[in-house]
Amino acid sequence: MKTKLKQLIVATVVGSQFALPALADDGTNATPVQIPAYAAEGSGGNSAEAAEIKALKQEVEALVQKVNALEQQRGPAEQAATIQELDQKVRVLSRERENDQDAAAALAKTQPKISIGGNGFSFGSGDSNFVAQLHGVIQLDSRTFFQDGGNNGNDGFLLRRARPIISGTVFHDFDFNFTPDFGGSTVQIQDAYLNYRYDSAFQVQAGKFKSPVGLEHLVADKDVLFNERSLATDLVPNRDLGLDLHGDLFGGTASYAVGVFNGAPDFSSASTNVSFQDGKAFAGRVFFQPWKNTDVNALRGLGFGVGGSYEANHPNTNSATGLTPGYTSDGQQKFFQYASGVYVSGATWRVSPQAYYYYGPLGLLAEYVVSDQEVKKAAKSADLANTAWEISGSWLLTGEDATYGSITPLHPFNPHNNQWGAWQLVARYAALDVDDKAFAGSTYADPTKSASGATAWSVGLNWYLNKNLRADLSFSHTVFDGFRGVASPGTVPAQAENVLFSRLQLAF
Amino acid sequence: MKTFLNILLATSLALSGGAKEIKLLNVSYDPTRELYSEYNAAFAKYWQAKTSDTVTVSQSHGGSGKQAQAVVNGLEADVVTLALAYDIDAISQQARLLPADWQQRLPNNSTPYTSTIVFLVRKGNPKQIKDWDDVVKKGVSVVVANPKTSGGARWAYLAAWAYALETNNHDEAKAKEFITKLYKNVPVLDSGARGSTVTFAQRDIGDVLLAWENEAHLALKEFGADKFEIVTPSLSILAEPPVSVVDKNAKRHGTTEVAKAYLNYLYSDEGQEIAAKNFYRPRNETLTGKYAGNFSQLKLVTVDQEFGGWAKAQKTHFADGGIFDQIFQP
Repeated sequence: MKTKLKQLIVATVVGSQFALPALADDGTNATPVQIPAYAAEGSGGNSAEAAEIKALKQEVEALVQKVNALEQQRGPAEQAATIQELDQKVRVLSRERENDQDAAAALAKTQPKISIGGNGFSFGSGDSNFVAQLHGVIQLDSRTFFQDGGNNGNDGFLLRRARPIISGTVFHDFDFNFTPDFGGSTVQIQDAYLNYRYDSAFQVQAGKFKSPVGLEHLVADKDVLFNERSLATDLVPNRDLGLDLHGDLFGGTASYAVGVFNGAPDFSSASTNVSFQDGKAFAGRVFFQPWKNTDVNALRGLGFGVGGSYEANHPNTNSATGLTPGYTSDGQQKFFQYASGVYVSGATWRVSPQAYYYYGPLGLLAEYVVSDQEVKKAAKSADLANTAWEISGSWLLTGEDATYGSITPLHPFNPHNNQWGAWQLVARYAALDVDDKAFAGSTYADPTKSASGATAWSVGLNWYLNKNLRADLSFSHTVFDGFRGVASPGTVPAQAENVLFSRLQLAF
Repeated sequence: MKTFLNILLATSLALSGGAKEIKLLNVSYDPTRELYSEYNAAFAKYWQAKTSDTVTVSQSHGGSGKQAQAVVNGLEADVVTLALAYDIDAISQQARLLPADWQQRLPNNSTPYTSTIVFLVRKGNPKQIKDWDDVVKKGVSVVVANPKTSGGARWAYLAAWAYALETNNHDEAKAKEFITKLYKNVPVLDSGARGSTVTFAQRDIGDVLLAWENEAHLALKEFGADKFEIVTPSLSILAEPPVSVVDKNAKRHGTTEVAKAYLNYLYSDEGQEIAAKNFYRPRNETLTGKYAGNFSQLKLVTVDQEFGGWAKAQKTHFADGGIFDQIFQP
């Protein structure tokens, strides 16, 4: 291209002076400018012609230099234009790619999401307004009793809990939970409720769920320190049918729950829809963690509160007596029950001051419960106040922080990498005392069949292999008071209870 | 039982404290980010002084058409402040979230401020772009968003079409030819006006950006007047971005009162001044004078006059199979 241009200029300037060979018509001929031989020689003709030729030759060379200079000026401009054009094309392609990525990201937000991990299986809409989750808890326990007076049949393995948990969210603000339990001898619905979240301070829950009274009772089943909850939990209602209003206030430093329920006897669940009374039970709880959001590390994990319940009539239970079926020991053996013919005749109320404290590896939990019932038998009546309390402590040996919730090991079990999960020492002391009036004249309880109280201590070691797997080993010793009966095989309160527990748990 | 529930509610409210914390979601179009960022703070202050309640307004921005569809598909906007009435009509018609006569509920057809379409060119205007004829010249690279998804792009398209009609004795065929040439010069279509600004100003693509007037001023402010300049064409369109409460969403959230107040406050002196400061043409005539320097004088046509209203314009030009689909092949 450059050569062609140069030839064109030279030909134009010199063409009139010399008979130059024409450029090829198509412009591709690269034949250089040809000056006639005679002229080139410079010495064959007269000197005037030679001088003229020489002058012309110099002129041509000067023009060629000018052309070269022009080409040098014009070349970069053309190149710049080309580069600019290419640059724009690259930029456009790059921008289109950006837009495509943005569109893909926006589309991804609308696509259903599926996740599988330590927190279970989750399926949800892209905007998270609809979520379904599948969780589960399986607990395989063993109980071995020592020196139990020849009681047969209480040692063995048991499927303590086998619960698939289906939970989720519909229309953004409505949560649901459905938890059947296939452990034990019958299939039961443990939880089945809907929860509406107006905001964190105002939520309404309706269905079957834990009554908001006992602190230890409200610990998730997969997170309890021991295989069985303490004697204190014997005196609080278990799961009940009803609705409550609950929420967290002031950044979570205070929480409340207050609700109306059918009413359940001590440590009993609503197991049917059968209604024996029109009256309802009211249950509620307030709990405070004043330093939760502060920098005072030593107090951040301190929480305290009080739970309670009240029902004017006897609990709505399929037991027409309205009474608890009995109080059980750590080994789940019944050591107290009301005498036949006794029934609730008046108000039942409970109060449970409670507290916990978590600081680093240390965890402490304590509560006291009074369960007061007006009972009647024939023409006699009494107001019985049964009490219980417990304090439990835990210490994580492997660096994790103790918590009211779940423990997640810092180093999940992996022997190939010398990782051994989290290890936790646990201990508990608890006592339950049945009102002495219950035994007065053997009217409401029979001292030859029931104890009037129990005191238990327990120690154990929990091993959290990872977030989902846990293995526990614990020992519990319980002594019973006030039993006046004859020791015989199967009579639980006739001797102290010594039981070794183990548990293998999968929770996801 | 009823008494008990009342006690529960009263207890809850008492524990929650007297002053409420209210959340609003304003689903808006692309270039209003800066406007509503400033306006939301002013309104929150005003509302707290008036009621002691704390109101937090969340914003969602995107191409106006896309935003409207998002609300139709469940994005729970308490209010919408979109680029054009057709998009709010779509919410009314497709999702029945607000009544059909929503535009009659606030002054000026529920349009508290207006704007128009201008040209943003690179400093020195190297392609010498002065009017719409220059935009369709061969070799001029034009940046504008996709009118299928962007309200601003629809306004720009209609402004160009109106100019072509005006200069061709209202010959529709010539207008179509004109608009075809224009979109042949468009190398990339963004989904929203802000995306187009990014394409032009930050990605250095194109010779001219067909921009909202406020967006063009914002680009000068943000990137420097030494990089770009605004060219005002001889004719453009009066863009009227409307606002409305999304009745059913607001009712469900219990925010109807505050949502109405939020939009009404746009017509207040403070609301109008914030709009003007952000280069939206205020309705308040006093402020129009005060901020006259921000707004060029040019001939402005309206959608109603030139196109017979948004419904007709949408059907003719932007609906599937409409003129835009006929003249633009990606």
